Amino acid sequence: MKKTYYVCKYTPLELLTAFGGECENLNTMPEGFDYADEIAHPNICGFGKSVLEAVLAGQVKELVLVNCCDTIRSVYDLLEDSGQLDFLYMLDMLHTMSPVSADTGDAARADTICSRERVAAQLKDLAQKYGEYKGREFDYEAFCKAFQPKERTQEPHLAVLGARMGDELFEMTEKSMPLPVVNETCVNNRSVAWTFAEPQEQDAGPDAGTQIANDGLCHEADFDALMDWYAGELLGQLPCMRMLDTAGRKQLYQDPSLKGIIYHTVKFCDFYSFEYADIKSHTDVPILKIESDYTVQSSGQLLTRLEAFAESLALNPKIMKNISRPDLSAGKGDGTGLDGNMAGTDDGSNFAPGQHEKGAHMGKGYFAGIDSGSTSTDVVILNKEKEIVAGIILPTGAGAAIGAERALEQALEQAHLKREDIDAVVTTGYGRTAIQVGDKSITEITCHARGAHFLNPSVRTVVDIGGQDSKVIRLDADGSVKNFVMNDKCAAGTGHFLEMMARTMEMTLDEIGKAGLSYDEDITISSMCTVFAESEVVSLIAQNKKPDDIVHGLNKAVAAKTAALVKRVGGEEAYMMTGGVAQNQGLVKTLEERLGTKLIISEKAQLCGALGAALYAADME
Amino acid sequence: MQVIETFGHYVEKLSDTDPAKARVLLKTGWQAQNLKFRFTPDKELLPADRYLARLMMDTMLRPLKNPDQSVLVSVFTPCELMQEVGLSPYNVESFSCYLSASKAERAFLQTAEDCGISETLCSYHKTFIGAAKKGLLPAPRCIVYTTLACDANLLTFRELAELYGVPCFAIDIPACRTKMPITKDDGLLSPDDANVAYVAEQLRELAAFLEKHTGKKINEDSLRERLARSRRTLANYDRFQKERVDKYIPADLVSPLYCGMTNNILLGTKEEEAYTEKLLADLEKAGPARGKRIYWMHIIPFWSDAVKNVFRLNENAQIVGCELAQVANLEAHSDDPYEDMAMRLLYNALNGSISRRIEAGIRHAKETKADGVVWFNHWGCKHTLGGSQLAKKRFEAAGIPTLILDGDGCDRSHGGEGQTSTRLGAFLEMLNAGGAEAFKV
Repeated sequence: MKKTYYVCKYTPLELLTAFGGECENLNTMPEGFDYADEIAHPNICGFGKSVLEAVLAGQVKELVLVNCCDTIRSVYDLLEDSGQLDFLYMLDMLHTMSPVSADTGDAARADTICSRERVAAQLKDLAQKYGEYKGREFDYEAFCKAFQPKERTQEPHLAVLGARMGDELFEMTEKSMPLPVVNETCVNNRSVAWTFAEPQEQDAGPDAGTQIANDGLCHEADFDALMDWYAGELLGQLPCMRMLDTAGRKQLYQDPSLKGIIYHTVKFCDFYSFEYADIKSHTDVPILKIESDYTVQSSGQLLTRLEAFAESLALNPKIMKNISRPDLSAGKGDGTGLDGNMAGTDDGSNFAPGQHEKGAHMGKGYFAGIDSGSTSTDVVILNKEKEIVAGIILPTGAGAAIGAERALEQALEQAHLKREDIDAVVTTGYGRTAIQVGDKSITEITCHARGAHFLNPSVRTVVDIGGQDSKVIRLDADGSVKNFVMNDKCAAGTGHFLEMMARTMEMTLDEIGKAGLSYDEDITISSMCTVFAESEVVSLIAQNKKPDDIVHGLNKAVAAKTAALVKRVGGEEAYMMTGGVAQNQGLVKTLEERLGTKLIISEKAQLCGALGAALYAADME
Repeated sequence: MQVIETFGHYVEKLSDTDPAKARVLLKTGWQAQNLKFRFTPDKELLPADRYLARLMMDTMLRPLKNPDQSVLVSVFTPCELMQEVGLSPYNVESFSCYLSASKAERAFLQTAEDCGISETLCSYHKTFIGAAKKGLLPAPRCIVYTTLACDANLLTFRELAELYGVPCFAIDIPACRTKMPITKDDGLLSPDDANVAYVAEQLRELAAFLEKHTGKKINEDSLRERLARSRRTLANYDRFQKERVDKYIPADLVSPLYCGMTNNILLGTKEEEAYTEKLLADLEKAGPARGKRIYWMHIIPFWSDAVKNVFRLNENAQIVGCELAQVANLEAHSDDPYEDMAMRLLYNALNGSISRRIEAGIRHAKETKADGVVWFNHWGCKHTLGGSQLAKKRFEAAGIPTLILDGDGCDRSHGGEGQTSTRLGAFLEMLNAGGAEAFKV
């Protein structure tokens, strides 16, 4: 039998089931949007495009939508035009479910009642059309049995909140985290309970509710009353962000057993960024914000952030109190044993990355950290006293593994050591999981924080602009990660952006690093898109603008993007800048002006990640 | 141009340190611009559009001068009730437009994004939120908005109500299921009759809300007269659009956009009716039609030099109409003022399926004998973006060549001036070369 797919928690699943429908939440993330991009615009929400993709690929033949948002409205328009579906319906769910008047706390507005009536009318219309399509009558028993209210856990857990998260990304999230994860996003917190009070025969009157006839079928007058009740139940769920009154959503993050929040947004869905902005200033629970475009590829890029968040949770004794975890080292083997494993011991309370790794071997008291970045691979070797005995920076080249081997060899050579002298190796950076020589891998977020704290314990904010991404990390006084934020997939604000612009201006990175230090004209590059910015630069060159002025404009653009990240993470003094772009004097100066503070730039700035990794390796002793 | 940049720069900068002073500067700058409109107007524009520039600036200045006598509204909010209780419209979209025209939008956009608000949110909404958060834009007496025609309304006004701590009223508009165009026969007998009643009920509650918060009573006869004025105004504008078909009316980029604003938030005022009367008077003096005629769907990126170079006061190519000024259905009418307003909201061309909007666009473009249509994909407007390819297909099937143009009506950083220039240039070359003949049916 064909399944009837749905996308929204306000979908009347029980009603569809009563007509013989087998309902399934359409929630898989596609590889790409080849079909969708043919008929829609790239700049609509990725979930909407995933619905188009599924239908146009022939995977879906029956679809019941709700007018959740502008994108889903467009999806309906496009699918209606495509004629690809056997059954397509969009429920016009109103936005009112409780009193709207925010000023007085007056009694419920009349339109609250009206909105239930309007929804009931929609339900009856859907029932008629779906019943005709299925060739079935309404089955009251099936309707009653279809109600499955959601049960909420009282155990310590993490929650994914915000915009809906694709199945694949949720699985990855579950595997990465040290505690059970509950999906509370969008359609996943659907909870409609069967609370309908069937009247006793003697009580039955015109207003007493639905009367079910002896034949087991629900007749017209009864059905109207039933749908009126059902509309109220659907509307009475925990509201989603497209409802006018969203106050009820507070219970999602005020749950005492909630230990951390992964807040998910979908690119080009604007609803949930508002809630995130609100939650982050109203909760003490650790919170990670991630954004996906609803493709499988975008999820891969989020793994670093999820792992870094998991590491910071694992290092937080308040969170892990009374919870035992065997191993949190992600990416280096099985991240799977993460389900359950909670026991009433204190064993896990002092967990630090590196406690439970494989094969700690006896060497001569040296520890290595390898930071495999997109541009360079850095290696630091520490001795027992945690003194740096070698520091190497090499271009990554074609492969992370080969680059890491080569850099480690050179570092050993520099320190006059052999491979067997090294007790433990920790890898970090984008290529960390591809490197075979390591005993353990830890994200660059955690490693940068540790390295920065080691270099200067007064540092509370690390600004790291690397080749592929830029990130800002907030530290505690003990050097652990308090919060962090990374740029999105766009290259704007990264070292790659400056590299592209240097190429356009036919300058080396060294030259561009010095060019912006002094300028005559204060040029603003308005486009942050790398492609558009490049065309702006070309047109400025054509206008004979001075290179120094153009470079200063570019530095301002990158500084603005970076300062925005600093603000989002709540940056505090003292600031340290790490990563290759810390060598760009012009950008550093512009960023200092923008932040109104000095940036500490260690001579070991570029080795910061590798240093942190080496420090974690030393912990393994 | 340098003056505007410097002005915008100081407004942005002062907002960081002394928002009250920044507001004074903003008000002074806009007053100076209004004096310019009054004493040295753009001579190339016809009298009606010169009048419109002043009317719009007066409307913008009122909330800055007397915020307590203003009501913050979304563009499609029916304002006749507010006019009856003496509140002036304080429109989010218009303010963001004017801040952008003053080259002061960037810092406010950044402020909103720094708070965590999505960078893909419509820039009109984001600019206003940023400026409000910085303290540049004052708190109104109250807020009234509709869910029409985009998601951003729900988010922005809820945020602003909390920020300003003022009473807020939302009008929930169900999707319209009635086909386009609506004829007199449809009226309340359309599939949406219950929806009209639903919206009318909310508007009656809105009247009570306004009375409570202003202490003034709404007189139903006076309201009925005001709505009659609204209908006359819309009818005048409709007549102007139909009769301009053989005329050349010099057009800049902002006048059609102003019409989109004033035909909604000022509808019901004597000033707006006077504007449409002036339009009809201008028709009498206008010369014969010339150049390529473009009907514009959605907002116009007035700040873009690439668009200005092609369409601003250009006899060879001009914008002859903007969708946002023609969203109402003139045929649908009720003698009950609340039902009348409800019908205007419910039957708005932008309410419901994209097909209604496309059908209205085709009809209006044909009425003005447009040679082509530009469907402007404003960054962040998901319904416009989502329907763009369908629109192109349907417009072209109706014999109207259509260009889909990506850009941003407010935020310069989403522009791609080179691309815009190439696309518009090529489109006009195609129209001029007769390539458009292929579309004629």
